[in-house]
Amino acid sequence: MRALNPLRAERTTRARLRAAVWTLRSVGSRVGLAAGALTFVLVGAVSAQHRISLSGDVQAKISYCKDCHGVSAQGYNGYFPIPRLAGQQPVYLENQLRAFIEHRRTNNIMFNVSHSLSPAMVNALAAHFASLHPPPIGGAPRQPVATGRKIFEDGMPEVNIAACAACHGPDATGSGQIPRLAGQLYPYLIKTLNSWDKERGRNPTVPDAAAIMSPVAHSLNRSQIEAVAAFVSTLR
Amino acid sequence: MKPMNFRRPQRQHRSTFRWPAGTALILPAAVLALSFSSPAAAQDNVSKAEADAKLRYCEVCHGVSAQGFHGYYPIPRLAGQPTEYLKNQLQAFVEHRRTSNIMFNVGHVLSPAMINALTTDFNQLNPKPLGGAPKENIDEGKKIFESGVAAANVPPCASCHGPQAKGNGPFPRLAGQLYDYITNKLTNWDKERGQNPSSPDTSAVMQPIAHNLSQPQIKAVAAYLSYLE
Repeated sequence: MRALNPLRAERTTRARLRAAVWTLRSVGSRVGLAAGALTFVLVGAVSAQHRISLSGDVQAKISYCKDCHGVSAQGYNGYFPIPRLAGQQPVYLENQLRAFIEHRRTNNIMFNVSHSLSPAMVNALAAHFASLHPPPIGGAPRQPVATGRKIFEDGMPEVNIAACAACHGPDATGSGQIPRLAGQLYPYLIKTLNSWDKERGRNPTVPDAAAIMSPVAHSLNRSQIEAVAAFVSTLR
Repeated sequence: MKPMNFRRPQRQHRSTFRWPAGTALILPAAVLALSFSSPAAAQDNVSKAEADAKLRYCEVCHGVSAQGFHGYYPIPRLAGQPTEYLKNQLQAFVEHRRTSNIMFNVGHVLSPAMINALTTDFNQLNPKPLGGAPKENIDEGKKIFESGVAAANVPPCASCHGPQAKGNGPFPRLAGQLYDYITNKLTNWDKERGQNPSSPDTSAVMQPIAHNLSQPQIKAVAAYLSYLE
């Protein structure tokens, strides 16, 4: 991880910038909304030029996402662990962005981020992030990795814990609505599994695939969660 | 169709799990078999709570009503499946007749009583098919299912799987099965079924049929079946 030090220097500057950006964002989001509405109208009127104007907008939006999710979308340990988006399944990304908007997933920051995105922008962002393949951030303890691998590949049939690989794939790359876990941040995985029911499937009027993970997250104890998180966080 | 062995192949006695409780104890060979089994397998009883917990565990991957689920792999519908077929497949995983690392691990900790409870539960479920298959070739699929493809020596599927594809005994229910699951199975039959030469099984029956179907025919029949209720 030494090789990443130059990035960290850049990060401190970015962190200061980000603080400034956050304070401006509440103002900015109103302006953004108005701009978004205007764009929407214009897009309808001049759809021929839509693609061209979108590409510049997409680049700007991508760099905005990377402010928090890491310069290669490899994830970033901000105040919260901010998840890796690189290599993520496009269907999963699109579904999660909708989940924030529909309050299926409760997160004030990501609600604000996502509710101004047009469907075309969501598609473009999801396709871009899916195409990135930076190495994992690393930093997880190594000692429980072997146990984590066993849980991931085989589950624990004696105590009714399903093998993660059945849905997330043997290389944890995910599929469709089911997320890639390979290279995901260790603290993000732990936080998410520990608080599944408080963070996912929160809108009873819009049931979603999060219900599938609920019993699994419940049945894993803390050390098992740490082991499996350590294992998948090392996967490329 | 003879009942399939459930115990490991080297044990010669047959078991279909329809024996009355206690029968096993009067057979010395069975006593020996039990002494070699895992502690879980030694139980001849399973509580409703244990069976329900195991059922929830199965449904994590196979869908909340066992209607099948698209995980990383297409994970098959178990709902409405004949109990004999389910038991035979669980044993196939344990005996490496069917190769799946995940299902080997799942299958080898299940006691006979648990298998009885689970297969009975799955057999009684009747959710709607998951759907999602292309619909263009459903009519062709129906024709193949009901009449076969005489020119390619493919018998009507209905002659074993039943006119409504509900299956019977060792023959699986195909109605409502996942389109891509059926397609995968028929395309890769020889790589996935009948994999243990020392323990030949009923999968040999399907082998030439799977071979003789072309890819478009497989897709047509899979699409037709995936919408059957």
